[in-house]
Amino acid sequence: MWASLAEQVRLQFETWGLPEWSFSLANSLFKALVILHFILLSVLFLVWLERKVCARFQNRLGPMRVGRPHGWLQTLADVLKLLVKEDIIPESADRWLFRLAPVLVFVPSMMLFVVIPFGPGMAVYSLDVGLLYLVAVTSISVLGLIMAGWGSNNKWSVLAAMRTAAEVITYEVPLALAVLGVAMLAGSLNLERIVEAQAGGRWFILVQPLGFVVYLIAMTAELRRTPFDLSEAESELVAGYNVEYSAMRWSFFMLAEFGALVGFSGVAVTLYLGGWHGPWLPPVAWFLLKTFGLILFIMWVRWTLPRIRIDQLMDLGWKFLIPVALVNIAVTGVYLVVM
Amino acid sequence: MGYLADKTVDVIRSTKSIGEGLGITFRNLFRPPITVQYPDERVKISSCFRGMPALLTNRETGELNCTACGICARACPLGIITMELGKDGKKRFPTSFSIDMSRCMVCNLCVEACPFEALGMSNRYELAETQHGSLVWDLDRLSRLGREHPASQVGQPARKGGEE
Amino acid sequence: MSSARGSATRDEKLAGSVPAEAMIAGSPSAGERELERELLVNMGPQHPSTHGVLRVIVRLNGENVVECRPDIGYLHRCFEKICEEWNYLQIGALSDRNDYIASLANEFAYYTALERLVGIEVPERADFIRVIMAELQRISSHLVWYGTFALDLGATTPFLWAFREREVLLDLFEAATGARLTYNFFRPGGVRNDLPAGFDREVKKFLEVMEQRIGEYDKILTGNRIFVARTKGVATLTAAEAVAYGASGPTLRGSGVDWDLRRDAPYSVYDRFQFEVCTAPEGDCLARYHVRMNEIRQSIRIVRQALEGLPEGDFRGKTPKAIRPKGEVYMRTESPRGEIGVYLRGEGGPGPYRLKWRSPSFVHLQLLPLVGPRGLKVADLVAFIGSIDIVLGEVDR
Repeated sequence: MWASLAEQVRLQFETWGLPEWSFSLANSLFKALVILHFILLSVLFLVWLERKVCARFQNRLGPMRVGRPHGWLQTLADVLKLLVKEDIIPESADRWLFRLAPVLVFVPSMMLFVVIPFGPGMAVYSLDVGLLYLVAVTSISVLGLIMAGWGSNNKWSVLAAMRTAAEVITYEVPLALAVLGVAMLAGSLNLERIVEAQAGGRWFILVQPLGFVVYLIAMTAELRRTPFDLSEAESELVAGYNVEYSAMRWSFFMLAEFGALVGFSGVAVTLYLGGWHGPWLPPVAWFLLKTFGLILFIMWVRWTLPRIRIDQLMDLGWKFLIPVALVNIAVTGVYLVVM
Repeated sequence: MGYLADKTVDVIRSTKSIGEGLGITFRNLFRPPITVQYPDERVKISSCFRGMPALLTNRETGELNCTACGICARACPLGIITMELGKDGKKRFPTSFSIDMSRCMVCNLCVEACPFEALGMSNRYELAETQHGSLVWDLDRLSRLGREHPASQVGQPARKGGEE
Repeated sequence: MSSARGSATRDEKLAGSVPAEAMIAGSPSAGERELERELLVNMGPQHPSTHGVLRVIVRLNGENVVECRPDIGYLHRCFEKICEEWNYLQIGALSDRNDYIASLANEFAYYTALERLVGIEVPERADFIRVIMAELQRISSHLVWYGTFALDLGATTPFLWAFREREVLLDLFEAATGARLTYNFFRPGGVRNDLPAGFDREVKKFLEVMEQRIGEYDKILTGNRIFVARTKGVATLTAAEAVAYGASGPTLRGSGVDWDLRRDAPYSVYDRFQFEVCTAPEGDCLARYHVRMNEIRQSIRIVRQALEGLPEGDFRGKTPKAIRPKGEVYMRTESPRGEIGVYLRGEGGPGPYRLKWRSPSFVHLQLLPLVGPRGLKVADLVAFIGSIDIVLGEVDR
């Protein structure tokens, strides 16, 4: 459906006598817009959902005032507030780093969505090295976080930036190793091929439970959510690397965080939970259902557990997750040879 | 192997403890919320609740019980009660009376000191004003408050033990 | 605002170009070379986990605490000086404001001291009411501690659960005393008013719920692997140190010292109740946590016994018309945080000549410079401050 529609538009462009690249440009722009709106809308929804879910875990109501029922317009009101708030750049901040950081944090989380297949043939770009691309893209955001922490010229934010760097770089490794198991089973790095390999209920979580657990833990750490929220541990670091940010610059961090949450969960669903596969409902619906289900689980964990300490975080990453991920790869290799 | 076995046991225990925690949060998901949406809903305050002090009126005569004797002003730790005495033959009454609510700590001592049951702790707890001057409550407002808001039951002086 | 900035100036700024000596009086080891690698940060007075307006000056080497010093006084209200001006009854209302999380514990200490000084007999019923209220207060205080301690460790949900239970307790306090935080409930020779009808039923209902909820608290924190990892072996305090620094209450008992004023120097009617003094030998944050959690259980036990044995009679004894004592007295009681000591000296006036208030939080805060440099990380420092359960209103007075 997607492909035929694009083909029609391309033919239309040809009949108008427009050059070939104009169609590519229009096509890319259109897709980028769709993805951007998808991210913005899901973040809008997720922020509200997180507050509601958290409230219910804590026997509260959560936002109720703006929009009935259940304050569903709350996030929109927050966005409006953030838009009109004063944008403050501290005098002693490094202005360039300070301004660049939110963008550099947001862009990678948006780039995740390029290769995620929302349905059959519904990836923005079906990249043959999709998995490699994902691993590469996720490591960019840490630059932005360090820039934010350093550029703010605030001691707390520098502390947070150092923590973030240690955390994200550490958990990059088990994440990549865990994903490797899936690539070995599917025999492809293309995410669409990987989903197709899981057709008929042969979800990779069934043969890669260890890999899934490693991925889930590493992903939570990459997302810097409790119990790995050391970089924004408000009870230790006041607010974290974004302590000096306000207004829209601040909300970009929020946007990036929740965007990455959707992205990483989408990848998890693609790799382990059968992607768009599922009975009755259309593929896109299945994909979104699984993704948001996983997000709910991560929220549930967040509102249950206390925070881990930095040395324990390193221990868990280097001394536990990486060995386990390596064992997982070895077992997968033996499985592939034997079967 | 001992190390690996210990590690495995630790992992299993950790997973179990985290699972139990998740179970507890999940159970709380279905408990009714305890939030009271404040300006729309209010908590039911106890009949003993003491809010700001008010001047009480005699129900039969419709006159204030206060005789402007000044005992409450002396009992007040902060000295925020002021009054002026008016005389009409034998009758004594306050011509003015004020309590500075910006400093009142709602300790109940003025009520206990009053020998005429002229003061009571009303159940009014919203003390915000838009102007600073309005925080000083005068005779009019205090007596209106006493008529409109029921006085706290425990606010009245406790005489059961008595003094020697 | 210059746009170009050399890296040297940045380093200088981050390492704290202000000499540490200027900020930390008498800092011994602040060599300039070390300073270049260290970070001098002000934790507080506006910081989410300093429980009020505490300022801790911390020297950090990476995540490790090199030195930390509490800087107090942001909440100083001249309590002791004010007491010299006010009369004995008025001070009772003011003493509430010291440890505002457990205000009845302050009243308990102050009024027992006053009664000893004047020589006022307290009727049995009044004593029982006092014990019931004080133990309920202990539960509510420990609930606040439980919630904020969990919050310090990054778990948000237990905080709201603890406050959910505390809310019920505050309703009970409201029904009995008329107020929710600063009660001004005790009076010389008893309490201001009798317990309202049906109070014991409501309390028993709450205690039952509370017992069940402690089980939940245990499951979500006590047994949790991450929680144990964050608290076990962290900020260990030996028994000798705890004694030497004058620690008391759960902080002392968490170091294995079996000492509780309710049992060892009984006041009021505490000698009539069966309860265990909870101790834990390890002296770390986890030990202090266990002591407090067990104390909630023991308080429930005491309240149950007191409700059972609540005698009939006066709730306020005979008091002299004018309280103008002469002489001096020192009285100490077991507050939820430790030992509250009241030194009271009267010279025949309507108010005391001198009142000295020993507050446990103030004493416990002095453990910070001792424990801080023992390989604590920033996160551990927060855990330690949470585990000694300070109330800044009591520290600064």
